[in-house]
Amino acid sequence: MSLWTKLKYLLPSNRRAEERDMQEELSSIQELAGTRELGNLTLAAENARAVRTFAWLEHLAQDVRYALRSMMHAKAFTALAVLSLALGIGANTAIYSFMDSILLRPLPVRDPESLVIMKWRAKRFTSAARGFSNFTGGTFSDPQTGVTASIFPYPALRVFQDNTDVLSSAFCYFPADRLTVRVGDETEAIKGQFVSGNYFQGMNVSPAAGRLIFPEDDDVTTAAVAVLSQRFSQRRFGDPAAAVGQSIRIDGVPFTVIGGVPGGFFGAEPGWIPDVFVPMRAQVIIQQPASQASVLAQYENQNFYWIEIMGRLKAGVSLEQAQAVLAPQFARFAEGSVSTEKQREALPILAIQSGATGLDSLRYRYSKSLYVLMAMVMSILLIACANIANLLLARTSARRREIAVRLSIGASRLRLIRQLLTESVLLASLGGVLGIALAWWGISVLTLLLANGRENFTLHAGLNWNVLGVTLLLSVFTGLLFGLAPALRATRVDVMSSLKEVRVGFGERARSRFGFSRLMIVTQIAFSLLLLVAAGLFGRTLTNLHSIELGFNREDILLFTIRPRTAGYEGPALYSLYERLRERLTQIPGVNAVSLSSRPLPVGAGTAAPVTVSGIPLPDPDGNGRPQNIAALFTVGPRFFETMQIPVTQGRDFEVRDRAGAPRVAVVNQQLLKMLNSQDLLGRTLTVAMGQEIYEIVGVVQDARFFNMKDEFRPVVYFPYEQNTRWSGEMTFELRFSGRPLDHAGTVRQVVREVDSRLAVSDLKTQATHIDQAISQEIALARLCSIFAGLALVIACVGLYGTVSFNVARRTGEIGIRMALGAQRSRITWMVQREVLLLSIAGLAIGVPSALGGSRYIKSFLYGIQPNDPLSITLAVMILLLCGLIAGFVPAHRASKIDPMVAVRHE
Amino acid sequence: MEPLHGLLDMLVLRSLVLGPLHGYGIAKALHNGSDETLDIEFGSLYPALKRLEVKGWIVSKWETSEHNRRAKYYRLTTAGKKQLRQEHSEWLEFAKAIARVMGPAPEV
Repeated sequence: MSLWTKLKYLLPSNRRAEERDMQEELSSIQELAGTRELGNLTLAAENARAVRTFAWLEHLAQDVRYALRSMMHAKAFTALAVLSLALGIGANTAIYSFMDSILLRPLPVRDPESLVIMKWRAKRFTSAARGFSNFTGGTFSDPQTGVTASIFPYPALRVFQDNTDVLSSAFCYFPADRLTVRVGDETEAIKGQFVSGNYFQGMNVSPAAGRLIFPEDDDVTTAAVAVLSQRFSQRRFGDPAAAVGQSIRIDGVPFTVIGGVPGGFFGAEPGWIPDVFVPMRAQVIIQQPASQASVLAQYENQNFYWIEIMGRLKAGVSLEQAQAVLAPQFARFAEGSVSTEKQREALPILAIQSGATGLDSLRYRYSKSLYVLMAMVMSILLIACANIANLLLARTSARRREIAVRLSIGASRLRLIRQLLTESVLLASLGGVLGIALAWWGISVLTLLLANGRENFTLHAGLNWNVLGVTLLLSVFTGLLFGLAPALRATRVDVMSSLKEVRVGFGERARSRFGFSRLMIVTQIAFSLLLLVAAGLFGRTLTNLHSIELGFNREDILLFTIRPRTAGYEGPALYSLYERLRERLTQIPGVNAVSLSSRPLPVGAGTAAPVTVSGIPLPDPDGNGRPQNIAALFTVGPRFFETMQIPVTQGRDFEVRDRAGAPRVAVVNQQLLKMLNSQDLLGRTLTVAMGQEIYEIVGVVQDARFFNMKDEFRPVVYFPYEQNTRWSGEMTFELRFSGRPLDHAGTVRQVVREVDSRLAVSDLKTQATHIDQAISQEIALARLCSIFAGLALVIACVGLYGTVSFNVARRTGEIGIRMALGAQRSRITWMVQREVLLLSIAGLAIGVPSALGGSRYIKSFLYGIQPNDPLSITLAVMILLLCGLIAGFVPAHRASKIDPMVAVRHE
Repeated sequence: MEPLHGLLDMLVLRSLVLGPLHGYGIAKALHNGSDETLDIEFGSLYPALKRLEVKGWIVSKWETSEHNRRAKYYRLTTAGKKQLRQEHSEWLEFAKAIARVMGPAPEV
């Protein structure tokens, strides 16, 4: 009843009717009574109205109206405050949304909490486990904790499947980085996943169309079935239902599409989104007949670690219970799989992890930089908050008289504080809304920065309710954070003296208030310094990375990769395909040279083996009988060194005549000469490991970065691809153009299509991009950090400017008197600038030691410099001081232009 | 003399037992009924009327008075009568308790 009346009263029409009725009643009563008898009728009406309203709501509306009014009055302040908060909140939201997508979001399957991921730990990558060096990053090693890995031999799956006490199911998968998929006439290289027959039951997902893979599909005779991602089936078939029943070719072998997974499903690894799922044993049928038997043998091998295993806990079973039950069983399995004493020393120990948020390789890769970025954006928000607290304080100081008047006529202090806080929370909310818009834009920029041109970059962050909720909380919290101190201070006034006062004087109270604002400025400067130092360190790291001497010319080269075996090429047919392609590509106008290699330089991972050269003693620098003669092995095509512009110092480049059947030849680099301690290798013969083949050394070339950019130069032996069978199933072509290689991307695709339309062109990019992708995290960090440091600097300078300006305005009278008494203008300027300098120095006194202490936390991101790099720190200090002086210049100048007569009369 | 805080509602309800009254009539009734001891400010009485109305203990209606003037008359509802009985007994208990403590006028 009561609530209903109050709610009805919220309607303006009801409210007006009530008001009319009340006025009528009061005037009728007034006619009955004498005038003085009734007293204050307005107050009576006011109190009667209050009966029908929610008092807090009325007050809130009042406060909001008041806040909006006062914000409208101070447009510059409002704009500045909202903008700096929006930048702070926006940056936080953007970074947090990445953290959310990588670190926090649960897998989009039913009941993700009961999923577990099997892992193991060992002192070193045990020789019991002949590991499959996995591209999904399933293996991490750390000098302190040893090796952690999530790959298992296939027979280990049975250990987990046999145990039905703690697990309701155990299933496995194996990611395939590139499958060549042909639909109709179109061929492309996409990510795929081999999954066990019970994978989808275990994951507990329902098909979006058709059916998913069943246990009976996972057999060599029935495995030619495929389930597509929504993205892929939409792109190629229009929608998932239309794809069902269609035939596609995977690595040249026909498969039938039986269904599609729901849109959000990506398996167990956030950021790694397969487009096609096929049964585990499809791995066998996509091989050439000759190698099928050896692949099939992998499923029985107890020492070949390759599959990733997940399971679901039975209801009521905890992770610890499962660990306690399964660890001894896996230990027995591991013990049974080894044969030597050395292997027994480092047996893998099972460590079950929660699978709710999926596999953690992405987390492993990005979490540290995300934490660094998060710390930075938090600092920016803090700086912004300190700034606004300061500006608010300055403004409330100007409103002291108003506040004193209100207190003196009976406003409660709590009510005034609430009113001031309403204003700051309103400011923060506006900042939050604008911040979300900025974050939306920032996320796409950040994705672009991190992807750095990679075609299949699949880390998708976005604004969701979780992120928006955090932003909302952050806004309200920052509003309270920067509003509370000024509100408390502003309302703690001595009413009498404030009312009498004409202007804020030089009294005790005034000094203590400016102590608070100085503290804020000092904090801002200290934080800005930290960000500047970080920006300097990351920037110098990036410069160092970019100026690494590569040993080849990265400019003007276009790269692309093909996997011809998936189109059925083998043996001599393969060689003639490469030769045909090379000839056709050489004819493209603008091409200066074309070559090919088993991988693009730097190779990332490659083969190395001991080599011996005829007539050269094996180097034995340690004198312990263990010769150091390991060299990297690399297969390349004709004119490779010419194309890459690696200088040939002796002998010759590879030529078309270095074919299969021709005399075997090799080219070595300077490091190999250095390793073998001889300048005279040309014409000698080289043998790899225990191999039978001997190669004549026909050339010596300059060193080039081989494994990765940060690695030192390694001894390398180059072979023509036709004479060395070590190369993998893919080949990368290098095309040197006379300029703007990307302009020719379309032509290159066209040429490959014309030669054979079953070939999928992948990783079409420039050599420069390939190198930048290797350091994309460093690039992103350096750029973001510079942006953030710039932002922090601007906000801090605005704060400094605002505070100093306010102080100058406050001291107009004092300055006028000083000048009237004969102070020089330069002295007045110095008086103001001295304050700026003192504040800056105080900030630096805190900031520099913090930077020295804190920068070691980012040591792992740095290259070529030490964390306490004096240049970066000096530069940061200089920039800060300079910006501080610039921020102080305008108010100082204004102070020196004060006309003493005007200023004194102003009093 | 003003009534003790919280007793005003009870007094208003009590004044309506004999029949509907308008706002000024209630003020007069309380003033006269207490032999002019109680002096209730209209500024407090009027919001109390509205409060009681919102609570549903009294209802109001525009009527024409004996002097042919329009006035708003307040009347007790059933809930109001029940409330009055309850407050009355509570007040009696309270008054007795106070009287017991205070006793006859002490010699001081």
